[in-house]
Amino acid sequence: MGVKKPFLTEEALNAGYVIEAIPEGINPDILLETLSQEVSQRGFIVTQLDKVAAWAQSGSLWPMTFGLACCAIEMMQTAASRYDLDRFGVVFRGSPRQADLMIVAGTLTNKMAGPLRKVYDQMAEPRYVISMGSCANGGGYYHYSYSVTRGCDRIVPVDVYVPGCPPTAEALLYGILQLQRKILREKHFSRC
Amino acid sequence: MPDALRSEAPKTQSFTLNFGPQHPAAHGVLRLILEMDGEVVERADPHIGLLHRGTEKLIEYKTYLQAIPYFDRLDYVSPMPQEHAFALAVEKLLELEIPIRAKYIRVLFSEITRILNHLLNITTMAIDVGAITPLLWGFEEREILMGFYERVSGARMHAAYFRPGGVQKDLPAGLAEDIMAFANRFPKVIDDLEGLLTENRIFKQRTVNIGAMNAEQALDWGFTGPMLRASNVAWDLRRAQPYEVYDQMDFLVPVGKNGDCYDRYLVRIEEMRQSVRIIKQCLQQMPEGLVKVKNYKITTPPRAEMKTSMEALIHHFKLYTEGYHVPKGETYTAVEAPKGEFGVYLVSDGSNRPYRCKIRPPSFAFLQAFDLMSKGHMLADVPSIIGSLDIVFGEIDR
Amino acid sequence: MPNRKLEDLGSLIAEEIGMDILSWSIAYNELMMTVERSSIQRVLTYLRDSESLQFAQLIDVCGVDYLGREPRFDVVYHLLSLVYNQRIRLKVEVEEGMPVPSVTSVYSSANWWEREAFDLYGIPFDDHPDLRRILTDYGFEGHPLRKDFPLTGYVEVRYDEEQKRVVYEPVKLPQAFRTFDFESPWEGMEFAVQTLKPKDNQSIKESS
Repeated sequence: MGVKKPFLTEEALNAGYVIEAIPEGINPDILLETLSQEVSQRGFIVTQLDKVAAWAQSGSLWPMTFGLACCAIEMMQTAASRYDLDRFGVVFRGSPRQADLMIVAGTLTNKMAGPLRKVYDQMAEPRYVISMGSCANGGGYYHYSYSVTRGCDRIVPVDVYVPGCPPTAEALLYGILQLQRKILREKHFSRC
Repeated sequence: MPDALRSEAPKTQSFTLNFGPQHPAAHGVLRLILEMDGEVVERADPHIGLLHRGTEKLIEYKTYLQAIPYFDRLDYVSPMPQEHAFALAVEKLLELEIPIRAKYIRVLFSEITRILNHLLNITTMAIDVGAITPLLWGFEEREILMGFYERVSGARMHAAYFRPGGVQKDLPAGLAEDIMAFANRFPKVIDDLEGLLTENRIFKQRTVNIGAMNAEQALDWGFTGPMLRASNVAWDLRRAQPYEVYDQMDFLVPVGKNGDCYDRYLVRIEEMRQSVRIIKQCLQQMPEGLVKVKNYKITTPPRAEMKTSMEALIHHFKLYTEGYHVPKGETYTAVEAPKGEFGVYLVSDGSNRPYRCKIRPPSFAFLQAFDLMSKGHMLADVPSIIGSLDIVFGEIDR
Repeated sequence: MPNRKLEDLGSLIAEEIGMDILSWSIAYNELMMTVERSSIQRVLTYLRDSESLQFAQLIDVCGVDYLGREPRFDVVYHLLSLVYNQRIRLKVEVEEGMPVPSVTSVYSSANWWEREAFDLYGIPFDDHPDLRRILTDYGFEGHPLRKDFPLTGYVEVRYDEEQKRVVYEPVKLPQAFRTFDFESPWEGMEFAVQTLKPKDNQSIKESS
């Protein structure tokens, strides 16, 4: 008969809409159903809440210092005066507990893979990983070596890959901006 | 336990602290196991190898030209001196004499790299000790210098510019003037940095008499470079065993007295000033001419020629596929890298690949002596000492 | 101080401790001496303490693998004399498994250099204060820089979701390391056949 719209009024009843379980007054079940329909049909409030959350998260991504090799120097250059990362809200924190981004900058060796995973596990959700440089992307220049992990995505899930050897500071900045755009697309409250 | 013993001081056990591989002040991946007695360090055991990438083994499978970029990635804060050592080693085995302009360009960029390295080292040591501003000032200068790298080789950091036979390309137009302008402006920047740190009470309290090594200990533990000079040993490879055109350069070599962190900082500041002098002299004295040996069996022909001449095309092809064969022999060549003596022990068996290429990193020796340097110091001194050691794990672990 | 010639340096050393030096030569303006394995400590002590030599610094200790030669390994010591501004290279030839006396008592810097030679080549050093692996992984088996150790090694790591930790597995390369020997077909073939090593050139399809 048409769209099921739960109204809590008599007029709606008389108008012929099919409504489920209409009691007198406000029923908690109805309330629950209103809310869940809001969420499942991505109602206005929930979408705006999503946007606020995404804006807050992407606007203050706090990375953890995980510089391993040469890419760490380019990462430092990105954070320094010319390609200032602080103006994007990106402040480097030393502790994984206070960070929500891990930039794996440099070659990941087999010996370091354990500590990498440990540190990643210590980060709180929501957490993101940027794989910086070709060594972190897939082993890179040292792909065929006996002691190198062929890509940090064997150990942690990666969101953005930044190519280069090393990626210029601008390239890393671009990668961080890409990650911000990815976060802006995320939906926490409305799941679809 | 008998009562007589019960009244004695309580038994204590040293506390083992893992100054883990991920640490803002660890300057890369350093895992330090510190045995502490309260706040005082009793024993320090550095665990390295967390960046061991198998460079030496990989080099054995590549031709000489393909092996050059591996050297850039060893000491990644000062890439070109490493290439320099390899290029000199291969040229020695090939018995090649490179053109004079190439020598001047190599010295020019070696000194630019020295400034790059010391800027990073001093400013990161300052930030570990607590001073944040020098990092921001110093890194802007580094950006300018990396801009020079990019103009000459195409890459900001890993240039692959010094090759056996000379340098890859000539300086582009305008670069010499820009470097001269930088050299004229830079001493003011050093003055600014010094103004923040040298007479600073807090910096001095955190670095004077910390991690001191006297001359005997420094020699015994294999120190070279600024670490050795800060311990009152006047030894600089640019003066003692000059290579390229260093014997025609007029510069001073700073030597410290006590060998503590403060002296090392002062030696590096002064070396930056002397590097500026050398840069100016290089630019003034540089002659015109070729930048690489014209022997196309070793160096690549220019692209324009390669596209028109058959011989040049064949040379280009053979060089980039098979590479040149280096006669059988072995050599140990060392350069005065910004950190110390960087040496390459190259064994060749006559083929187009190195048979064994041992890399002698200066920071390996410094980190060995860390236990001795940090004994009796407090935990807060550990970042100061690590900062003054100027270690980089790319070269320690290779 | 007038610069002493390398030949004079070589003859001076050969005179003093001739019985420990097996041979010496000069190439590319560098002096090289081969020393008997058991007397390396004595030789280094002499080189360090002698007034006319004063080799105060041990610059480097490394190993070299000459597979196919008897004895197989070479331990190479580089020394530097600051006073006389000269360098010297000493070589000790060892068989596989034969230990070399450690020179940590002579030069403290030999500590980690010898650990590295042990780690990468498997050359044991006697009387070393702390001989354990330094560069390779904690439970690493094998000695990587030996010529018969494959480039890609035997194990690689991956994070396992079920076990919730990093696990070691045998190496599976989607694309094998391709060794292109561009040697001229008229000259290069024997060399290529000799240097072909197991596992390096096998992709997962071939090896399974």
